Amino acid sequence: MINIDGTLLAQIVNFIILVILLKKFAYKPIMKILKDRELKISERLNSAEKDEQAAKKTLEEYQKQLADARVQAQEIVDKAMKQAQKEHDLSIEQTKREIEQMRKTAKEDIERERERAAQHLKDEVVLLSMQAASKVIAANLDSDANEKLINEFVEKLDKSKLGDLSC
Amino acid sequence: MAENAAHFMLFGLSFDLHILEMTWMVMAVTVVLSIMATHNLRMVPGKLQNIFEMIISSIDSQVNASIGTRGPLFAPMFVTMLIFMLIGNLWGLIPGLSSPTSSLNTDLGIALLVIVMLHALGIYYKGGSYIKHFFEPFAPFVIIKAVEEFSKPITLSFRLFGNIVAGELIIHILPKMLPNIICEVIPGVIWLGFSVFVSVIQALIFTMLSISYLSEGVGDVED
Repeated sequence: MINIDGTLLAQIVNFIILVILLKKFAYKPIMKILKDRELKISERLNSAEKDEQAAKKTLEEYQKQLADARVQAQEIVDKAMKQAQKEHDLSIEQTKREIEQMRKTAKEDIERERERAAQHLKDEVVLLSMQAASKVIAANLDSDANEKLINEFVEKLDKSKLGDLSC
Repeated sequence: MAENAAHFMLFGLSFDLHILEMTWMVMAVTVVLSIMATHNLRMVPGKLQNIFEMIISSIDSQVNASIGTRGPLFAPMFVTMLIFMLIGNLWGLIPGLSSPTSSLNTDLGIALLVIVMLHALGIYYKGGSYIKHFFEPFAPFVIIKAVEEFSKPITLSFRLFGNIVAGELIIHILPKMLPNIICEVIPGVIWLGFSVFVSVIQALIFTMLSISYLSEGVGDVED
C-alpha cells in the first residue's frame, strides 16, 4: 500500500495514455460542440436582432401608409360632400325656378281665360242690350213704360252677373 | 485495498498487479463514458453530454484563468485528472473493488508528473528567470523554496492517499468492529455517503492544486 515500486512508473504511463485517450474522446469533441453552440447562439441572436429591426421598420412603414390612406380618404369624403352639396343647391335652385315659371304661366293662363270670359260676357251683354232695345222699340211704349222696361232688364242683368266682373 | 499476493517482476521492478488491474478498469470506464457522452453530440445536450460539458468547460475556464495563453495545451491533462480521480476515488466504494488512488504509487506518480512538468516547463518557457525566482527576494530564501518545492508532491499525493485509504479501511474495519450485520447498516451507510463526498472533494482539490502549481511554471509572466 505504501511501498513504492515500479507501479509508480506504470501509473504515470497509464495516466499519460488516459490523457491522450480522453483528449481524443472527450476534450476535443466537447470543446468543439461548445464553440459551435456559442457560434450558433450568437448567430441566432444577431439574426433575431436583425429580424426585429426589419419588423419595426415594416411596422413604421405600414403605420405611415395607413395614416396617409386615412388622410386621403378624408379628403375624398370631403370633396364628395362638397360636390353633393353643390348639386343639391343647384337642383333646388332649378326646381324653384321651374315652379316660379309654372306659376307665372298658370297666372297668365288664368288672366287670359278671364279676359276671354269678360270679352265673351261683354259681347253677350251687348247682344242682349240690342235685343232689349229692339224690344223697346218694337213695343213703342211711352217713356214711363220704356224706363220701367229698361230698369227691369238691367236689374235682371245685375242678378245674373258673373263674379265681380264689371260690365 | 491492495492484496500483497498479486505482484510480478519486470525489468527488475516489482509491479502491483491488483492496482494496475483496478487502474485499467477505471481507465476503461472513463474512456467508455466519454465515448458514450461524445459519440452522438447534440446542440441540445443529453444528461451524460451535459455532465461532461460541465466538467470540461469549468476545468477549461479554470485552467485558462490561472495559466493563461498556454492553458488550452494543458487543459486536457487536468480534465483527465479530474475525471480519472473522480471515478477512481469512487471505485473503491464498490464492494470487491479498490481505488487506484488508494495506492501511493498512483497518487505520487501523478503528483510527481505534475511537479516534474512544472520545473521542466518552467525552465523551458522562462529559462533563467524561472531559476532566479527561487532566490528571491534574497539568496538564502532558496532553502525555504526548496522545502516548499519538495513538499509539493508529497502533500499533494499524501492528502489524496490518506483520504481514500482511510475511507476504504473504515469500510473494511466497520463489520469487524460491530457484532452483527444489522448494527453495521447505519454507520456503514453514513460512512459510504461521507466517502462519496470525500472522493469528489479530494478529486477537485488534487486537480485545483495541480493547476495552481503548474501555473507557476507555465503561466503568463505577470509583470
